[in-house]
Amino acid sequence: MIQTAQKSILIVDDEEVMREFLSEVLEDFSIEKACDGHEAISKIKEKKYDLIITDMKMPGISGEEVVQFAKKTCPNSKIIVISGYSSLFSVGNTMRFGISAFLSKPFTIKQIRSEVEKSLVGEKDRESSGEDYHV
Amino acid sequence: MTFLGKFKYFGLREKFVLVVSMVIISSMLIISGYLIKRQNEIYHQELVSRGQALVTSLAYNAEFGVILESQSDLEELLKGVSRADDITYALICASDGRVLAEIGVDKFAAVRDNLAHTEDEPDGGKYRQRQYFDHEGTEYIEIRYPVQTRKQQLSRENLGSVFDYQARDYGSDTEIIGEVCLGLTMANLREEINRSQSAAILLTLMVVFSAIIIMTAFVRVIVHPIKTLVEVTDQISKGDLSKTVDINRRDEIGLLAESFNRMIESLKKSQQEIEEYNRNLEQKIIERTHELEDAQTQLIQSEKLAGIGQLAAGVAHELNNPLGGILGYAQFTLEKMEKKEIATLTPKDYESFKRYLRDIETQTRRCKTIVQNLLKFSRSSSKVEFHDTDINQVMEETMTFIEHQLVMNQISLKKDLDKHIPIIQGNPGQLQQVFTNMIINALHASPAGTTITIMTRYLPPLGEFPGAIEIYIADQGMGISEDNLKKIFEPFFTTKEVGKGTGLGLSVSYGIIKDHGGEIKVKSKVGEGTTFAIIIPLEKKAVAVDKIEIDK
Repeated sequence: MIQTAQKSILIVDDEEVMREFLSEVLEDFSIEKACDGHEAISKIKEKKYDLIITDMKMPGISGEEVVQFAKKTCPNSKIIVISGYSSLFSVGNTMRFGISAFLSKPFTIKQIRSEVEKSLVGEKDRESSGEDYHV
Repeated sequence: MTFLGKFKYFGLREKFVLVVSMVIISSMLIISGYLIKRQNEIYHQELVSRGQALVTSLAYNAEFGVILESQSDLEELLKGVSRADDITYALICASDGRVLAEIGVDKFAAVRDNLAHTEDEPDGGKYRQRQYFDHEGTEYIEIRYPVQTRKQQLSRENLGSVFDYQARDYGSDTEIIGEVCLGLTMANLREEINRSQSAAILLTLMVVFSAIIIMTAFVRVIVHPIKTLVEVTDQISKGDLSKTVDINRRDEIGLLAESFNRMIESLKKSQQEIEEYNRNLEQKIIERTHELEDAQTQLIQSEKLAGIGQLAAGVAHELNNPLGGILGYAQFTLEKMEKKEIATLTPKDYESFKRYLRDIETQTRRCKTIVQNLLKFSRSSSKVEFHDTDINQVMEETMTFIEHQLVMNQISLKKDLDKHIPIIQGNPGQLQQVFTNMIINALHASPAGTTITIMTRYLPPLGEFPGAIEIYIADQGMGISEDNLKKIFEPFFTTKEVGKGTGLGLSVSYGIIKDHGGEIKVKSKVGEGTTFAIIIPLEKKAVAVDKIEIDK
């Protein structure tokens, strides 16, 4: 297990079910939630999160913009993108933003946990999770 | 119309004949007029000369007869003269006016009366001459000459030289002892002139006639080929190139015909070329059309495929979101249950499980709705019943659901419902779905502070037009771009964020209104707003319900 007490995670998704589910799965971390890109950006401005988990398609400011903003404001924050679309091709050139992982919905608890742990531990073992990028 | 005006309508032949005839006639008139006049003068002159000669001769020969007053001698003398055709009468009288001898004077009583006092102008010396007409209109010339004798001449020795006129000396010693009067008729002259005139006229006519014949023949030679040319030209102008000009001559007309035939040949050739070209063009057009059709088919096919891809992506995204929750909570529940024995489950765990299961149920229902929408779109659902429907009432009911949302978004509503709208056959539920969809669309497109106008109108029947109801839903929103305007009725076309619109609303609405025999029209300008018009005819058209396939 990793050190969870100090790690903070921001969950950004317009789907309430997904936000709740993720916060329950990752209950060991310090979780904050944003229901759209607007809220996410204002939260990122206020605080440096260790990890940002964001949906891609959201009304108003999209996940893509949130990722761009986060990379600029806090380059040390890790980012995991989750989407209803099944491949990176559908969400565009996401990998260019230098995100830690892409998960397509629906994903298993094991998958999300594994990705969260990997991204918070560091860059090692990236290739082992590569299979998830190309569903 | 004047003659000159008509002249231009004559044919070439008529013109030729007319002009030539006129030239011939006028020249003949001038020539024969001159000749007849000249002939007349000459004849007249001749007559006068002969008369004078006769009268002179008579006067000399009558000298002794007059002296002796021998009537028989003198009459004998006159008889000899009067044998000439044109001598009408002759008389010899003494110086006192007594007529010594006469011949043919009976008819001319006036002649004798006039004898003494004729005052006609003397013609060159002793001749006295006059011209006159008798009551029959015949013209006469009368010539008189005095009978003279020498005063001491009457000696026997001199009698023998009576005919020696030259030797006689008519000096001042001559004495007038009488007068010879000779009347000459000019009838012969007139007759001669008339004959000449007739001959001239006859000749003129003959010349004109033969000229006309010659001209006609000549003109025919010129005009006939021209007519042929005209006929062939006419045929050509009508598009018939099969004829050629058949004139075999060496003159200018022959050359003209030849070059004309050459022209026809080259026309034929170019026509054939054009036909050939047209055939090729047609062939090319057919080929190109096929190519285009193929390309279009391919395009439609690929658009269909793209549409299916879009649809699949849309459906997948829509389903994946709730599925994410379902899978997550199902696993989560399982995980928790596997961690603990049933006996050790706390009420808190139990509550959590209930919440998870409720979420799973909710999300599953959401999936079901999505699938149902898809099915609704495919319109494979059972038949819809139609019954009496009050459009205004349906609209009012629709508004009760939406008015709150309008207020929340600070959008004002303008309602203008036509009270005269009749009851129609329709499905209120479906119509409400259509109205709701359209008003929500308008709402989503409208910025705060703008107005949405809802209007119904009744168009009464007129002639073959069965009458209709029009429903307008107009907003002052962002409008729809031209590109998007073509696609708005396509299934799964949406400009909204994924999850906010299925892209099925308008295509489902379209299907419903089509089921009602009506149509939906849309007018939009970017930045100014959009107006949707639903037109439902009073008499529902007997149209089969079109099944809109998903791939359409």
